[in-house]
Amino acid sequence: MNITLLIYGLLNVVFVLLVSPLFISIIKKVKAFAQKRKGPPLLQTYYNLAKLMKKETVYSENSSWIMRVTPLVNIAALLVASLFVPLLVIPQPTDLVGNVILFLYLLALAKFFMALSGLDAGSTFGGMGSSREMAISALIEPVIIVVFAALAFAFKTVNIPDMFRGALASNVLVDPVLILISISIFIVIIVESSRIPVDNPETHLELTMIHEAMILEQSGKNLMMLELSNAMKQLLLMGVLINILIPWGLTTEFTPAAILVSIGAFLVKAVVVAVIIGLFESSCAKSRLFRLPGLFGLALFLSIVTLIIEVFA
Amino acid sequence: MPTLQFSFLIDRLSAFFILLISVVSVSVAIYSVHYVEHGTHDGRKNLIVSFMNIFIASMVLVIASSTMFSFLFFWEIMALSSFLLVMTDLEKKETGKAGMFYFVMTQLSTVFLLFAFLFIYNATGTFNIQQIRANPAVTSVAFIFLFVGFGIKAGVIPFHKWLPYAHPASPSNISALMSGVMIKVAIYGLVRFVLLMHMELWWGILILVAGTVSAILGVIYALKEHDIKRLLAYHSIENIGIILIGIGLYVIFVVSGLQEIATLAIIGALFHTLNHAIFKSLLFMTSGSMVNATETRNIEDMGGLIKRMPYTAMLFLIGAVSISALPPFNGFVSELMIFQAFFQSAVLANPALEMLLISSLAVFALTSALAATCFVKAFGITFLALPRSEEAKKAKEAPKLMLIGPAILAALCVVLGVFSFQIFGTLGFSFPIPNMLLIGSLLAGFFVFAWLAMRWTAMKKERIAETWGCGFPTQNSKMEYTASGFSEPIVTILKSIFRTQKKSERTYFDDEKVIFKSGKAEIHLMKFFEERLYLPVVNFVKKASLIVNNMQRGDVDLQVAYAFATIVIFLLIIWWLA
Repeated sequence: MNITLLIYGLLNVVFVLLVSPLFISIIKKVKAFAQKRKGPPLLQTYYNLAKLMKKETVYSENSSWIMRVTPLVNIAALLVASLFVPLLVIPQPTDLVGNVILFLYLLALAKFFMALSGLDAGSTFGGMGSSREMAISALIEPVIIVVFAALAFAFKTVNIPDMFRGALASNVLVDPVLILISISIFIVIIVESSRIPVDNPETHLELTMIHEAMILEQSGKNLMMLELSNAMKQLLLMGVLINILIPWGLTTEFTPAAILVSIGAFLVKAVVVAVIIGLFESSCAKSRLFRLPGLFGLALFLSIVTLIIEVFA
Repeated sequence: MPTLQFSFLIDRLSAFFILLISVVSVSVAIYSVHYVEHGTHDGRKNLIVSFMNIFIASMVLVIASSTMFSFLFFWEIMALSSFLLVMTDLEKKETGKAGMFYFVMTQLSTVFLLFAFLFIYNATGTFNIQQIRANPAVTSVAFIFLFVGFGIKAGVIPFHKWLPYAHPASPSNISALMSGVMIKVAIYGLVRFVLLMHMELWWGILILVAGTVSAILGVIYALKEHDIKRLLAYHSIENIGIILIGIGLYVIFVVSGLQEIATLAIIGALFHTLNHAIFKSLLFMTSGSMVNATETRNIEDMGGLIKRMPYTAMLFLIGAVSISALPPFNGFVSELMIFQAFFQSAVLANPALEMLLISSLAVFALTSALAATCFVKAFGITFLALPRSEEAKKAKEAPKLMLIGPAILAALCVVLGVFSFQIFGTLGFSFPIPNMLLIGSLLAGFFVFAWLAMRWTAMKKERIAETWGCGFPTQNSKMEYTASGFSEPIVTILKSIFRTQKKSERTYFDDEKVIFKSGKAEIHLMKFFEERLYLPVVNFVKKASLIVNNMQRGDVDLQVAYAFATIVIFLLIIWWLA
């Protein structure tokens, strides 16, 4: 392990931790503007997280240690996962971090424990949330794997940093095949960050909610960790989309100037993606749970089309 | 006779499988010391223990056999001893059915193997297994017979039906051995013979497709199952499917000349065989403890066991996380290797084959995610929240040896996962798989880091309160989500596979159908393979035997007439042939 890898790791993890809540706010703000509201201030998500830190943690008397370790498992899995997606600077080629399958299954590990904690308190809502979340994440899984298989085919590697390196080195401005796969990745982001039309992040105690129902019994610092890890997951998936489709500004050099440029470039690109997500959410309604396989089918179709192009090209 | 001899040969492949059997057997043996005491008949306890030893010995000898004769001989001893073990609780009605199913299927498997071996003998002139090596006379016919024979024993769909009957009916230590080890002996047989034979591309495709179908249908059937042991039995079918996917990929890649990925696929498959043996035996043993404690196999009557059986809960959770292929445990590493073999298949020259691999990959991904869903259900409904029955409320932790046995396997789940990279390095394989020791330490490090950070910075105050019961004064277990409720979204989405039929009847007090009086709702899931494949065969045999039965009236004149007719027919045939 060399020193640049260590710098890369620290930089990436700290950047993800610091910046990820911002994009939750931006999407909220865009949705508020679309509804002619002013919306919360941009730093509101940070205030919320700080507020939760200061609150007491309430546990259900039915709950067990699963409830207590879930937030820690979540945050740990997401912190490790954030080593896998370089947002600012691509490290030297290495086998240590970056395996795409491991990245996906780290997210699955977090989700597995979250679903268990949903069942832990014995409330109906938690169980309902867990059941639906697991059903949806199972159905989106083939899409995710095929999307990443298509990327692995396109860039001839199973390592995420190497994929980004390939995207950066490509001399075409935007590869048409990658546009196709970006639509699938976009749907994956919508599903994984529990957004409309799959889930509704705004509601509490509604029958439509999925993710929020699952973490209903969490409070205080534990809720804070879960919200933060959710924000991190959203940013990491956005990072995959951005750095595959439009890797402009991403650097391979460990110089302060290059990194500053790439911070600026990434923030601009991520804000654009967040605005698109917000507009997309505003433009459609929450669909019925059993209509969702259709959406997933579309994503699967597009990713398989990409693969076919890769195979025959 | 000189050719019918017992002789043994242990090479790396058989040594690996003997290791697998031994590890699982040791832990099951420790577990059994207390487990068998749960039974009532003293004589029967002795029988279980003695048959168990014969069973384990026969499995080891099957694997060590170097001639097909001794292979089949011990294979049959394995089948018979395991059949007697399945029949332990013979007073129960379901045991009879399970035993019948198992006996017929296992004998069918032997018949297919016998045909295959006779065919191979005919081609090579010897019963020695090693003599098959690349002998062109051993053709696809032998492969088909071997595949069906081993497929039945391994529980490959559509030959899987005995598994979900036999596993729940037999004692849990026996299920652990049968599911963990015995079906792996069939995998050994398949790998042993396929590796020796001159492979063809379509073999690989057949194994891959059979594996994919078994994997996805196995997990889909497991999802709707509420009998904990039957649920685990269906997961065995799923995991056998995953192993076959790896073997299928191996054959495809070898025939296509891609030795490097082929090695990754076969080692992934064999590693998954070992891993499945470990975590499935672990799960069967811990579920046996749960069944003993609650006196039911229905997970809807369990619940809240994590407080009553904390160690069993921990062990079951480790098994559940491993079988759900979550990092950094062992199940993840072997599935990762198979995934990676898929991901690197871009170099295949054949686009049609490539499309098949992609479809199989998508289904494999779905399988893996559904397995996680199923184990959220299996762990969440049984161990978490409030007890759902009086028995579950009174459950007690299992005795010490019933914890130590599974604990060995649980430790192996962690060790084989975390140190996988180092283990493969020591064995001389350098696969491009991630170093799980690093990932595991990072996970643990960040876990501790987050915990410390929260301790130092966050509000320390904690409070225990009741779960909000939607306005009801006290919350009870009836308000919890049930296992059927949990799997309902998947069952509805996949209703074309389950052939779900929902029936509901409602009666009302008034004609306008406003005031609800009473109602009844039921969900019927079709047993597709049983109703469409097995029963038609059974019914045909029944009908045919009825006709034969009617012809045999015990009437002497009639019998003489039959004999006369037969002679005439034979004479005609001879005349026609001449």
